[in-house]
Amino acid sequence: MRPAQDNQGSFLGRISIRRNQFTDVNTEQEQEDLELFQKHIADRFTELLTPPPPPQPPSDETDAVASVAATEQIMSVTWLRKLMDVFLCCEAEFKAILLMGRDPTQISKPPFDRLVPEMLDRSIKALDICTAVVNGIDSVRHYQRLAEIAVAALEQRPLGDGNVRRAKRALANLLIALSIEDKENVSSGGGGNKTVERSWSFGRRGGGSSAASKGGATIGQLKSSSWAVGRNWSAAKQIHAMTANLTPPRGNEAAGLPLPMFIMSTVTVFVMWVLTAAVPCQERAGLANHLPVPKHLNWAQSLVGIHEKIGDEWKKKEKKGSAGLMEEMTRMEKLGHSLIEFADGFHYPAEKEAAESAAAQVAEMAEICRRMEEELVPLQQQIREVFHRIVRSRAEILEVLEQAGKLSAPVV
Amino acid sequence: MAGLESKLPVVPGVKNHVLEACHHVVKALRASDNNLDPNLTKLLSDLESHLSTLEIVDTKVVVVEDTGFSEIKKGFKEAKKVILGWEQNQSMILEAGVSKADLFFQALHDVQRVLTSFKALPIRTNKKEKDVYNQAAVVLDIAMFRLEKELCDVLNQYKQHVQPQYLSVSSRGKDIVYDESFVSLDDVVVEATDDQQILGSNNVVLLDPLVIPHIKAIAKAMFACDYGQAFCEAFITVRRDALDEYMSTTLEMERFSCVDVLGMQWEDLNGEMRKWTKVLKIVTLVYLASEKQLCDKIFGDFEPSSAACFVEISKDTVLSLLAFGEAVSLRSCQPEMLERFLGMYEVSAELLLDVDNLFGDETGSFLRMAFHELAKTLADRTVATFSKFKNAIASDESTRAFSGGGIHHLTRYVMNYLKLLPEYKDALNTLLGNMQVDDSIPEKTGQDILPSTFSPMARHLRSIVTALESTLERKAQLYAEEPLKYIFLMNNCHYMVQKVKTSELRHFFGDEWIRKHIASYQHNVTDYERATWSSVLSLLKDNSKDSVSTSRDRCRLFCLAFDDVYKNQTRWSVPDPELRDDLHISTSVKVVQSYRGFLARNADRIGEKHVRYTCEDIESLLLDLFECLPSPRSLRSSRRRW
Repeated sequence: MRPAQDNQGSFLGRISIRRNQFTDVNTEQEQEDLELFQKHIADRFTELLTPPPPPQPPSDETDAVASVAATEQIMSVTWLRKLMDVFLCCEAEFKAILLMGRDPTQISKPPFDRLVPEMLDRSIKALDICTAVVNGIDSVRHYQRLAEIAVAALEQRPLGDGNVRRAKRALANLLIALSIEDKENVSSGGGGNKTVERSWSFGRRGGGSSAASKGGATIGQLKSSSWAVGRNWSAAKQIHAMTANLTPPRGNEAAGLPLPMFIMSTVTVFVMWVLTAAVPCQERAGLANHLPVPKHLNWAQSLVGIHEKIGDEWKKKEKKGSAGLMEEMTRMEKLGHSLIEFADGFHYPAEKEAAESAAAQVAEMAEICRRMEEELVPLQQQIREVFHRIVRSRAEILEVLEQAGKLSAPVV
Repeated sequence: MAGLESKLPVVPGVKNHVLEACHHVVKALRASDNNLDPNLTKLLSDLESHLSTLEIVDTKVVVVEDTGFSEIKKGFKEAKKVILGWEQNQSMILEAGVSKADLFFQALHDVQRVLTSFKALPIRTNKKEKDVYNQAAVVLDIAMFRLEKELCDVLNQYKQHVQPQYLSVSSRGKDIVYDESFVSLDDVVVEATDDQQILGSNNVVLLDPLVIPHIKAIAKAMFACDYGQAFCEAFITVRRDALDEYMSTTLEMERFSCVDVLGMQWEDLNGEMRKWTKVLKIVTLVYLASEKQLCDKIFGDFEPSSAACFVEISKDTVLSLLAFGEAVSLRSCQPEMLERFLGMYEVSAELLLDVDNLFGDETGSFLRMAFHELAKTLADRTVATFSKFKNAIASDESTRAFSGGGIHHLTRYVMNYLKLLPEYKDALNTLLGNMQVDDSIPEKTGQDILPSTFSPMARHLRSIVTALESTLERKAQLYAEEPLKYIFLMNNCHYMVQKVKTSELRHFFGDEWIRKHIASYQHNVTDYERATWSSVLSLLKDNSKDSVSTSRDRCRLFCLAFDDVYKNQTRWSVPDPELRDDLHISTSVKVVQSYRGFLARNADRIGEKHVRYTCEDIESLLLDLFECLPSPRSLRSSRRRW
């Protein structure tokens, strides 16, 4: 049962009733709508913070239970897809509050003549983040392919030194890719950085002869010269700019339309922040710490909870360097390390015990790859949907403003 | 090595699988039911004992084969030597020549055979054999890694640089620059766009064709050894970098964020939009088409990989191009963007079929959809801009009369802008098909037979000019002097007709429209003559009863009125020389004739010294009218002769 969903129907219904009587704005009705909106936001994020138990009672197979739990975990690719759904729901509801049945001139008067342009400005910045993240997910798909190569090699039976050697090479590349903090570090002048990392990896892991270290082997990064979004673009700067003028409404504004505008902007910034945290993204230094989220507000409780969880994780990882906090990537990294360890100690023929534990890890890695294969592209599509939704909403708001401009313009 | 194949016990290998399968069946049958029929139990036991004897026999076969194994080992040793030899050698295998390369591939093939033959006999337990297997797998991996490097080196080294021969346009001179007053688009600026001749089949060579067989051999070897994925990864990385380099270095395409695009000055954005229109076409029709061909050539036998690799190579670039289109669409559509939007829409719509072909399969559907979405967005923006353009013309207001009555800059701007549109006729007809329009020529009439004259675009063009005419009519009302109003309308209408008649536009506006508008400005001429000269000439209407003094008075008054006209109308402007001549002639005919008649009738009575202007004076003075002289010419100093 999902109470949030049920309420939504009646909520929208009420709004459309109001539409027919907008000349006399029913403030009581509006208050109720606003409260409902806050409640929905709170409910949706609570559900994200504490995923509901799997719909079916646990079966005998413990594996299945474990995988369901992992799937729903914060920052897993499935969870990110849910987050996108939540964003789209919030956005639709917000737009209904902002535009439906409203006299256009209302949102062009102070304080909206300031608040609306600020909000639209944030939405433009969000668009660029969407683009950067879609691009970042492509990098994740590259990690997936490296992991797949390792899996395929380690699944060979009988497992020989040749297979292990191959796996080790793929894993080494994977681990380098996963530990590079910003895409920018690689794609910009940091070429030196990349070379160092690369030869280090082959030097130490020693995939073969010295020839290998210079080789054109597939390395974990995608690009040499191009930028996902544009030169000098920085996710961190965009997020900073989005939050710069984002303050909770005070006084009598706090009771009216400025509040949902503030809430929606906060949700947008938060969602964008999560996305930049999850996958490789151009220039995001300092983002782990910086995201002012409003504490002590009922609707924001769970959002703050999620923010803290991710923020803590991010700060931990930041020191070591990490391509992203997506749960699958984190697990991939862990598995990668222990499989490399296995590979380093491998002697043909494999010891039964080590081989068995490695096989379990390989199976887990394979499972992660499978999930990525299933969900990364749909996630990209959802983010593009978010992109287009933001574009559409912005256009609708601008249209209303234009209408308002015509209505209020003095007739010559 | 050749003998190896015949001695290899292929059949026993298969047999082993069958035996194993039988064991499984027996086990499964036992497990399935605890109360098996005793007969069946017995049967199963018998079967099992038979199976085990068979296995022993089979092992014997293997032992017999040991002589074969030593030969395998020997062959492997040689292959290993060849492969490891290349580990010390940094140069490309390709450059060592075909025979050396063949040797490498042959060695690889041998190693691979060792591995497959071993795998075919899973129950071998001999330590020596296992060691050989293990070593073979290592050597195989070394060879594969070597090939991966070789692939990258060859792809990099033999990459052909695509010259930007198609991109001669970006530096084209002045452009249509818009400002609120519509001033900037002058006749000089407009030039036909003669570029755009990028043909669909114009493929370029991205990689030296000589190395393709070698790369195909690498692909074949790597796919055969189950290293297909590694091949694809390396191939994608190198080819994507090449495309990146082409975009950023050769085409100098910069990537812009939405924030960048929204903050850009119109002149810069205009240039970027123009460039995008070309680059999208070149990249899609030339570069990507060639890239796809290259993929197909190389992956020939591994069809599904070809499409997937191609998508991976092009995805990032295509998405970045689409992102620019999306970012531009975020801007509020200003009338001046019409042509750029038309260009962008047209190229994106035109390319849809090619895009569907390039990204035909499942892996490319993402890009295909994104492309279609963009074309739709651009279509919407273009139509919206078109409406804005028309509204801007219809609502253009001025507070002061346009000095001199010449051709208003709005008229110039609009007509010159319209001249650019026939190039986009297909796009416009598609886009405007469903848009309501008030056409000044609603029905097919007269001699107009061209279908283009009644196309949606033609109707919209006429309606834009109708909007322009009403705006000009409003501007004309600002003149204090009635005749100047007619001169103004005449000038502008004549200009429109000229622009239409001398360009592609005539096929859209049609003869009927041209005829009507010629009539319209001719009517302005008549109106002008009436408004200026009927009162002046009425002074010359004499009757026989006039006294001498009255006649002299008339002559004096006429000359004064003429001076007045002269003073005013020499400052007026009729820029078109032919039109001005016509006007001079028709005025001259009227005025000089009347004056001559008047003088002929009254010369005697008035007396020569009272006649200030001769007919010749009048005739030549009239030629000064509409010359747009900066200050009123003093008649006394220059023209009077006495």
